Amino acid sequence: MALNFDLHRSQFVTNPALRFVVYAVVALLLNVVHVVFLRFVAVSSVTPDLLLILTVWIAIVEGQFTGMIAGFLAGLLFDVVSADVLGSNALAKTAAGFVAGYFWREGYAMQTIGSYRFLLVVALAGGVHNLLYYFFYVRPMQISFGMFFLKYGVATTLYTTVAAVFPMLYVNRRKDQ
Amino acid sequence: MRRFIDFVVRFKNYITLGTLVVMSFAFMSVGSLSQLGGFRAVIVGSIGWMQSLFAWIPNPVALKSENLALRELNLQLAVESARSRQSMVENATLRKMLELPAYTDYHLIAADVIGKTTTQSRNYATINKGIEDGVQEGMCCITDAGLVGIVIGTSPHFAVLQLLLNRDTRVSAKVQRTRVDGIIQWEGETFLVLKNVPRSLDVQAGDVVLTSSYSQKYPANIVIGRATQVSEEANSLFRRVVVEPAVNFATLEQLFVVDTRPNSERVALERRTDERLPQRSTP
Repeated sequence: MALNFDLHRSQFVTNPALRFVVYAVVALLLNVVHVVFLRFVAVSSVTPDLLLILTVWIAIVEGQFTGMIAGFLAGLLFDVVSADVLGSNALAKTAAGFVAGYFWREGYAMQTIGSYRFLLVVALAGGVHNLLYYFFYVRPMQISFGMFFLKYGVATTLYTTVAAVFPMLYVNRRKDQ
Repeated sequence: MRRFIDFVVRFKNYITLGTLVVMSFAFMSVGSLSQLGGFRAVIVGSIGWMQSLFAWIPNPVALKSENLALRELNLQLAVESARSRQSMVENATLRKMLELPAYTDYHLIAADVIGKTTTQSRNYATINKGIEDGVQEGMCCITDAGLVGIVIGTSPHFAVLQLLLNRDTRVSAKVQRTRVDGIIQWEGETFLVLKNVPRSLDVQAGDVVLTSSYSQKYPANIVIGRATQVSEEANSLFRRVVVEPAVNFATLEQLFVVDTRPNSERVALERRTDERLPQRSTP
């Protein structure tokens, strides 16, 4: 059993095609979770952005180039599923992937994800993501972008950073084992 | 050629970023999901099916506040019921005297809310009635308390509503007491704002705000909410009227789709006029 698991794990690490398939499946599942279940954990109508955490993860593991493309595709999928303006999440998550990609270091991906640095990257990428997203969001509303961003953008970024503790702890545990 | 390839390889991240940003803007210019034609029905149907699978999961926080809201509503209705019985008799007599047409009785389609996205400023709901039940895009939705929103997407068995608490909301409204007109918009959080109300006109906290007959999308005289705060806008000739919606969106579970569509003759006339007067806009 342990041998089987190690084999699968090593295949996952060495086979990029397999990794990308897993990312796509996880992105689809997170989209469903977002639309169907996330309202149960909403705090004052603010929810964590799980797809942003996935985008940051991919950018740290695969690099800036793949992170941007993953962010774009994950955002576009979310725009379609959530009935949002098509392209708004795609743009914001592309930027998030670009920012997170600067923290990619070959061979050190799991060390980054398993440490507090991951939370900092999520907070930074989340800040850029929400800055862009809410800038375009408030355009038809004739209200102050600053106030709206402080109310929703900062709160969403903080909640997403808190949610990123779970993958961080998971990777940290696996590293220790 | 070699130089060009070296350039692309060297700056591939920036080139990719630029390309993806341009593609995102291109998608944004296409607009919302409503402009994707038949693809939209598939998405609405799939999401509706998934949400209906988990609609049975109770939300204890929502149930508690709904109970409280229902008790308050029950008390108000008991008082209003007694008053309205008297008013109906008077109204019927006066209408007969003035020879006004009777109020239109709309056909209502009852529906359950099976999914809600009231998070991160994306305020949409999915209901378990669709095209096969007579629901069509553009129909408005109400509860016993008041206006909920408008249908923006349909599939054979499901429909997606844009709730009032949405950045695209523009409802032509009037104050019940003084008949002052304005436009209802959402500016974040859980309240609405009545805009375009001149300072000289009479609007007070506590006034009931209704849909106006100027709107093509919404039938007239549906309760939107109650004015809670009236303030002067700085450097403006208008007032800012904060309106608390009559409907509690956090506990929304059942609603009615109002089977009305805009009068085609009126729409055609207003469209012709719009073409001649490009500055004019109808919310």
